[in-house]
Amino acid sequence: MRKLRLSRALTAAVLLALCWTWVDAREQAAAPRPVTPAATKSAPVKPAVAGPAQTPSHKATIDRYCVTCHSDRLKTAGLTLESIDTTHISAAPDVWERVVRKVRVGMMPPQGSPAPDATSRTALVTWLTGELDAHAAAHPDPGRPLVHRLNRSEYGNAIRDLLDLEIEPAGLLPADDSAYGFDNVADVLGVSPVLLERYLSAAGKVSALAVGDPESGVASETFRVRQDASQDRHVEGLPIGTVGGMLAHTTLPLDGEYVIQPRLFRTNLGAMRGLEYEHQLEITVDGARVHLASFGGDEDFKASLRNPTLAGDDVEARSRARVKLTAGPHTIGVAFIEKTAAQNSWRLQPFLRSSHDTFDPTGYPHIDVFSVTGPYSPTGSGDTPSRRRVFMCRPATAAEEEPCARRIVSTLARLAYRGQASDEDLQRLMSFYATGRKGGNFEKGIQLALQRMLASAKFALRVERDPAGAKPGSVYPLNSLDLASRLSFFLWSSIPDDELLRVAEQGKLRTPVVLRQQLRRMLADPKAESLVTNFAGQWLYLRNLKNMVPLSTEFVDFDDNLRRAFEQEAELFFASIMRENRSVLDLMDANYTFINERLAKHYNIPGIYGSHYRRVTLTDEARRGILGKGAILMVTSHTDRTSPVVRGKWVLDNLLGAPPPPMPANVPPLDENGQQAGRVLTMRERMEVHRRNPVCANCHKIMDPIGLAMENFDAVGSWRTREGGTHGTAIDASGVLLDGTKVDGIVSLRKALMRNPEIFVGTFVEKMMTYALGRGVAATDMPTVRQIVRDGASQNYRFASMVEGIVNSPAFQMRRVPTPQEQSE
Amino acid sequence: MFITNRALSRRTILRGMGAAVALPFLDAMVPVFGSAAAATPVRRFGAVFVPLGERPGFWDPTTIGTNFELNAIMKPLEEYRSHMTVVSQLCDPLDGHATTVAAWLSGAIPKRTLAENVNNGVTVDQVIADQIGQDTPMKSLELATEDFTGWIGGCDPSYSCAYMNTISWKNATTPMPMEINPRSVFERMFGRPGTSQQRLARMATDRSVLDSLLEELKGMSKGLGGKDLNRLNDYLENVREIESRIQKAEKQSLTNVEVPDAPVGIPEEFEDHAALMYDLMALAFEADLTRVVTYMKSRDASQRVYPKIGVTEPHHAMSHHGNNSEKLANLVKLNTHHVDLFRGFVEKLAKTPDGEGTLLDHTLILYGSGMSESDTHSRLNIPTLLVGKGGGLVQGNQHIVAPKETPMANFLLDLANKFGSDAKSFGISTSRFEVA
Repeated sequence: MRKLRLSRALTAAVLLALCWTWVDAREQAAAPRPVTPAATKSAPVKPAVAGPAQTPSHKATIDRYCVTCHSDRLKTAGLTLESIDTTHISAAPDVWERVVRKVRVGMMPPQGSPAPDATSRTALVTWLTGELDAHAAAHPDPGRPLVHRLNRSEYGNAIRDLLDLEIEPAGLLPADDSAYGFDNVADVLGVSPVLLERYLSAAGKVSALAVGDPESGVASETFRVRQDASQDRHVEGLPIGTVGGMLAHTTLPLDGEYVIQPRLFRTNLGAMRGLEYEHQLEITVDGARVHLASFGGDEDFKASLRNPTLAGDDVEARSRARVKLTAGPHTIGVAFIEKTAAQNSWRLQPFLRSSHDTFDPTGYPHIDVFSVTGPYSPTGSGDTPSRRRVFMCRPATAAEEEPCARRIVSTLARLAYRGQASDEDLQRLMSFYATGRKGGNFEKGIQLALQRMLASAKFALRVERDPAGAKPGSVYPLNSLDLASRLSFFLWSSIPDDELLRVAEQGKLRTPVVLRQQLRRMLADPKAESLVTNFAGQWLYLRNLKNMVPLSTEFVDFDDNLRRAFEQEAELFFASIMRENRSVLDLMDANYTFINERLAKHYNIPGIYGSHYRRVTLTDEARRGILGKGAILMVTSHTDRTSPVVRGKWVLDNLLGAPPPPMPANVPPLDENGQQAGRVLTMRERMEVHRRNPVCANCHKIMDPIGLAMENFDAVGSWRTREGGTHGTAIDASGVLLDGTKVDGIVSLRKALMRNPEIFVGTFVEKMMTYALGRGVAATDMPTVRQIVRDGASQNYRFASMVEGIVNSPAFQMRRVPTPQEQSE
Repeated sequence: MFITNRALSRRTILRGMGAAVALPFLDAMVPVFGSAAAATPVRRFGAVFVPLGERPGFWDPTTIGTNFELNAIMKPLEEYRSHMTVVSQLCDPLDGHATTVAAWLSGAIPKRTLAENVNNGVTVDQVIADQIGQDTPMKSLELATEDFTGWIGGCDPSYSCAYMNTISWKNATTPMPMEINPRSVFERMFGRPGTSQQRLARMATDRSVLDSLLEELKGMSKGLGGKDLNRLNDYLENVREIESRIQKAEKQSLTNVEVPDAPVGIPEEFEDHAALMYDLMALAFEADLTRVVTYMKSRDASQRVYPKIGVTEPHHAMSHHGNNSEKLANLVKLNTHHVDLFRGFVEKLAKTPDGEGTLLDHTLILYGSGMSESDTHSRLNIPTLLVGKGGGLVQGNQHIVAPKETPMANFLLDLANKFGSDAKSFGISTSRFEVA
């Protein structure tokens, strides 16, 4: 068996190598030609069907353990395995991949039903996957991702990389739909009039900002501090010696004067908080103080008692600063000067969150929102990074204008259109330059050309073109430019840079050693951070954090500072695995994490002071890996309590790749206030009641033990040994997992999940492949996933080897010509 | 990008601005386009979706026919009963979240798919927009108050999130994105800052960009087939649509109108946010920037909490109430709260003169949800309320009970026909259910 698998791996490798050699030849010929299935078949491939000798025993296993329910008559879950042909596994990959998925993790046969022993279970899975993998190796189907529209974050990154301009794309474009858990799935990235209108208007705004359009009128940008943010401690990034407030990044359009107006929190009766004592509010731009305002104390307090509105307005007038600023990126901070311990005479503050009571006018002042409005009396476009990027030449005479414009336009269009700008495209852009030049000046001409470029479908859409005359249904390797785009959108969520494009244009990208070099270079680039924010952010649900608002009466200490710390910790943790090329298994059980003072308090880790994040070695085993991270524990909870079901489902979906079946209709919910014998039932007890219903029991037997093993973490990820406070009932985190493993809490759960590391790694690869390809991973892709996992084992599943496996797979490097049926869809 | 052609009252201000900062550039009188008031009143259509049903037993009026008795949830609207038409016993095709949201205005059965070949059916607002939306700068406006990013894992199993992220579909395969940022909506309505000359110049540029984009797209679609070609064609069609709208806006003549201060961003409180969106809707109708608006109050599986009315349990969790009396009471409270917020909008329409009557006389707003009993995601007897008279399309002051199991699609067909569509069927309709 082992030998057989090895030979299959070799076959796949040979196939890929063949593709490369072939492509090199093609690129010299510079005319795309398709590979037909016939050509693929001509490679030396072993017959797909394994030795028939093994079939009967596996058939017997299936008949004995599966067909009782999955019979022609019962068709449980819409599936029958009774009359299915077990000699041609490859004929029904959808069915058998489903079987593999369920049997592998022990989800099938269901608990309580007769089940094969571990050896026959493994043998069955090995046999099935062997059959499926062999067939896939001989008949690769890379699929055909649809025309892909740049999503919101890709658009923002592309602008950053093209124009050296940071924008907030959420303000320019509507949110994208997502599918399979990711918002870069081409199938749901369609267009609508609104969307197009927004792309059009974004093109106008971004081009004006990039060149510093002197006609940029006065505009205002507002930055809001979340209401549940505590403002009695130092905020990372703001000057040392300040507390509270907020730091914001903005790009100003012109040199000129700008008004920075902080607004302070007022109670529901309009009283500004904290006027009973004196305070100082500081405004900084790029770290330097531009304004210091004093407020509070006797005068203001008395005024506030007379008329809170007028008193508050007066304080805000004093807080306002009108300052001369240069065009381009700036960091603007608003914060309060910290008082020495001797001056600090606050009342006893019982909770970590400083902003609990919205009625109380006393205590710390809080920044609610601040705005930056301008430019007033603009003095010019200034010298900004984006202007330096755009104006790569400066015409000294009228005669030099047109060649310089052509240079600017063609250089930018090459990047924006990812190497696919035709002469016709350049002509179009130059005609906009000409219009702008005629109606204004050289810079206006460039601005218009840029606006046209950003509105282009060639910028907004990624189109992979099949070679002319390609045979329907045949498979061909992508050309270098398309491959370059796939790489950069996977690793950077952005357009290729100059070097990647150059390599692709020279036809070298498909040389394995060059491809590997580029991949390593790109992974090391700061832009690969998008794998953290976009890939991990969606895979692990970190993006949901912003929507989590734990009930403040239940979790009195929870504040936005903690929410941000959760996010930072999870992102830094994932980034460390990526940047240090660690094993992806470390995601599950690395013994370190990243914390600041706020998070350390939450985790009960002593000796950590200050707002900055640092790496610490964990002594508490429970906090190891993602399952011990506050972010994950909170996004899998309700606002007022934990949800073992949500946690169990999250683990099954995202770590084990075995989603439980959808909830049946007409489900009686948990009895929230369940009481028995005068005592509020624990979560475990309430769920046990719920599970007495047989409709519910089947799925819950799968999900609950996982979630219950995590019960020592409450809904905001605090460690607890009792439920319902210090006098509550002791938590019982024990249970039996779906495969029969006994667990007694988070540590043993994690160990159980890690026992077959290839299941977790396979799920990781599957998720990352979905993200890399921008399409759902189909049954026909699962052999590739398994191949990557097998290949990764020898390198201890290092992060880069997983990424390389995906990039080197046929699914990533090739594309299928539509079948006649697809053609007419 | 677009500028109003109708005079707004000088007192027009947006509610819910809270700590919002007034924008200096819009404080002043801004010259905009406009013409003499239309000779005959124009009709408008709106649809307001509330998530997770209306509590059965507290929604349907207790009597049938004219002068019906309002039930608890509708009580806030009592003074507008003469403009209300309640239709009960209409049904969606399937239970569920994705299915009932998608079907609410499409009357269709959405295709069960996670991503590929998403297919629902055109929604009635878009059919109506084809009829009455041709003369306004915006054919239709789609709004929402809940950010649907950050709900990974919060969509129905086996159904694309697209089905739950919008209630409006341009055609079977094109969901219309819903805008949640009042600032973006405002800019769509009144354009970016600048003088009227600058605005005109921008429109001219936009139009030439679109012209040139059409050429580019024609070239790009050469050699493409299947779904790739369809997507390029969609793109092309959308470019044409926007182009014709800009032309409309350009043709309109100048007048003086006071534009209210622009909202600065998304208010933190739901109630403020909703009030602001309602104001923008009223403003869009009043200024005749569009005649069709859809508004999704929340996603259907919304976990929003409503501390303002003392409801702190997440809505979706609470909606599976298991007959817990506290939850049931809170659901009624919440449903009523939504109607109360809606009342502000109705009041505004009722107080705005329009031709010979008020905006409310000439507008028809569909208010409702895709399910009735949230505990089971029931498709039966879905809450359906029409407010306004749509310029005589309905007489109002009526509670109509449809025969059991009348498809919602039959009613949607009636709406489409009322606004001038000659469609013979709609979604899964079996016949036209005519509401007088």
